[in-house]
Amino acid sequence: MNEAKPEQHDAESSPVLETNERRGFLGSAAAITAAALGGLLGVGPLAIGLYATIMDPLRKKTTPLKHAGGTGVAGAKEGFYFVAQLGEIDSHVPRRFTIVADKIDAWNFMENQPIGSVYMRMQGEQVECFHTTCPHAGCAVSYERESQSYLCPCHNSSFKVDGSKLEGGGSSNPSPRGLDALEVDVQGTSVFVKYEDYFTGRHDKIAK
Amino acid sequence: MFRKLYNWFDSRTGVQASLEEALYENIPGGAKWRYVSGSMLVFAFMTQMITGLFLWMHYSPGSQNAWASVYYITFEMEGGNLLRGIHHVMAQAMVCLLPIHLLQVVIEKAYTKPREFNWWFGLVLMKITLALGLTGYLLPWDQKGYWATKVATELAALPPLIGGLTQKIIVGGADYGHFTLTRFFALHAGVLPGLLIGFLVLHLAMFRKHGITAHSSPHRPDQLFWPMQVLKDGVACALLFAVVVFAAIAEPVELGPPAEPTEAFGAARPEWYFLFLFQMLKYFDGSLGFNTELVGAIVLPGLLFGFMFAMPLIARKKFGHHLNVTVIVAIVSAAAYLTWEAKQEDNYYLNHPDDTQSEAYKKSKRFHDEVGRSEKEFELIQQLVKDYGIPLEGPAVLQQRDPLTMGRRLFRRQCASCHAYSHDEYAIAGPPNPDATSDSPLNYGAPDLAHFGSVKWITGLLSNDADNGIRSESYFGKTLHIEGEMAEHVHETMWAVDVDRQALATQIEQVAWALSAEAQLPYLDYAANQEKIDAGIAHLNDDTLGCIGCHNYGDNEDGYVINLNGYASADWLTKMISDPTQTGFYDGGSENDRMPSFHNEATKLLTPREIELLVRFLREDRTLLEE
Repeated sequence: MNEAKPEQHDAESSPVLETNERRGFLGSAAAITAAALGGLLGVGPLAIGLYATIMDPLRKKTTPLKHAGGTGVAGAKEGFYFVAQLGEIDSHVPRRFTIVADKIDAWNFMENQPIGSVYMRMQGEQVECFHTTCPHAGCAVSYERESQSYLCPCHNSSFKVDGSKLEGGGSSNPSPRGLDALEVDVQGTSVFVKYEDYFTGRHDKIAK
Repeated sequence: MFRKLYNWFDSRTGVQASLEEALYENIPGGAKWRYVSGSMLVFAFMTQMITGLFLWMHYSPGSQNAWASVYYITFEMEGGNLLRGIHHVMAQAMVCLLPIHLLQVVIEKAYTKPREFNWWFGLVLMKITLALGLTGYLLPWDQKGYWATKVATELAALPPLIGGLTQKIIVGGADYGHFTLTRFFALHAGVLPGLLIGFLVLHLAMFRKHGITAHSSPHRPDQLFWPMQVLKDGVACALLFAVVVFAAIAEPVELGPPAEPTEAFGAARPEWYFLFLFQMLKYFDGSLGFNTELVGAIVLPGLLFGFMFAMPLIARKKFGHHLNVTVIVAIVSAAAYLTWEAKQEDNYYLNHPDDTQSEAYKKSKRFHDEVGRSEKEFELIQQLVKDYGIPLEGPAVLQQRDPLTMGRRLFRRQCASCHAYSHDEYAIAGPPNPDATSDSPLNYGAPDLAHFGSVKWITGLLSNDADNGIRSESYFGKTLHIEGEMAEHVHETMWAVDVDRQALATQIEQVAWALSAEAQLPYLDYAANQEKIDAGIAHLNDDTLGCIGCHNYGDNEDGYVINLNGYASADWLTKMISDPTQTGFYDGGSENDRMPSFHNEATKLLTPREIELLVRFLREDRTLLEE
């Protein structure tokens, strides 16, 4: 059955090929144009689709025009968010604080949404602040009072209370760096934090 | 008559020839059971297409709708649970069949010349199938799907230079949101199945072109595909379907609580068939001195896949085929081992119940606690959905008004570093190993607040019992108050050696009822105990137990600590949590043992709304907060 087929195919298609060849230059030009056109017709829609799909996520989203702008604590520097009052930060046990800000999710605009969280504690006069995202693969670390360390529930990364990588201790610690410290700006009793996300899994702390 | 009609139909469509071509494939050596794996995979994919299409009819991507629509499919829709269950189980069956099919092909040497393209198309099909699994895991938009997929997309950002861009394009922006779902859904239901069909056609075309990899043997004559092999394939697929349906019924498909970006899920794990990749990441810990995560997550899997791609070429060399078989068996075994190891780590606490002090035990315990917490949160939201339905803004809005869901989260975050909450249903662990006698500020604790203000709680507070009295860990045992006036009064005065214990116990019960009546807790029946309450009020006013020397109650206004009027009522608790140093509580703070103010001039650890949720949670009052 398989053998019979090619013969049949040849018998049907060869006359067509002959007529094409006889047309010479004109025929070749038509073939090339047809192929190019066919390619273009396929690529065109694909290209515009890919363009929109790739470009949109890279576009910076704009807040609605009539929105009063910013989360309303005065005195915040560019990129800084109000997080807490000084008195709320303990000097021994790091506390978790939620960052609240306006949020744009595609077609929705929402005011005062939790957008992330940080751990803070007082180190003498200084506020120490860490991103809660594990620098390894992006799970959220939590502070464990018993071992006085930050533990990640996913791949066993662990960090000392000062944010540095916990070395030794038997189990592996895949994090490429310590917890990401965030810049803190204290104005009066208000604590502002420069909240930004960093690439995980890299040795250096690079803002996204 | 029928014959005539068929001939007419055939002459115009050529159906007979097509059927013959499709069915009369020669099988050297005859039909065999072991040839069924490919057909089973095709059948599994078809099942996914069909069930997937019907799921599509009821699913809505988007942050507000995804979880809600999957909830509807799973718990409300007639037959919806089975539909989603089959889709869920068949996906796993497909992933199980893949390595079987692949090992067969390798061991029977069916990947070598001239079947290179067939092998390559097969590898592409495998990748697409795994990508379908990965994208499908996120679509319900529940906690586990959200957090597990988050890790996967973080890994996409690992490659230098293009990583960040890649991640943004996959996620649909800088953060997870609507577009993550719309994109994953388009991939899962459109792009990937489309590609899969395309490559499947090519895969099958190659298969038909080269025929089955078998040799005729004098003992077993050749057979055609139809009917014996079709029958065998059919029986195998029917069995597979039966097993899948049985599994979907026996273990109804689950759904976690809705995704909550700010409520970290401490038990994030990928679907089990990706666990080996998850586990492998733990081995790349940077101890080699360079950034190895990229290697573990992308380079090594990429190299292994590249090797598989090169296998037909390697097989041309001497011993090449043996090398291939060895490597493939090694890869599959290693994946199986890593999966097993990941499971062992997570279940360590179940398998080694006595090894309570080891890190492995504690880690595994935390994992299971998180799983349990997540299951509980689901029960809570399920009840809310039953009671109120899901609002337009999505399930999270409902949760944010629910004292049980939010109170529990807030308690865990803000209170559990000192207080335990040993409730039968909503237990929250307090601080570990507190030791009030230690100087370390990290070793303090505070009373267990489960059933706070109830008769039982107050009776315990007024008891000198070593295990459950005022100096026990459930009350002041972990605080400075263990040596304070209150504990001393209970132990030395109330429960003095020569006292009539029977009478005292009765008085305490009555006083406890009177105080609890101040709280008016929704779960206690005060009306039925009015006599005890009246007697208790009389005791308090007569100062039978010596309470109003220090505490204000009724007409007595000489107290200086902890006002008993409205004790444990919503108003009282709000004040206590907001600022325990205020008048009527620990006046000026001199009697306060480290209880922070959660909302006053200086600190705003909790918003008034959050405190209200917490108060209702402590009072086990599940009235939803107004919008």
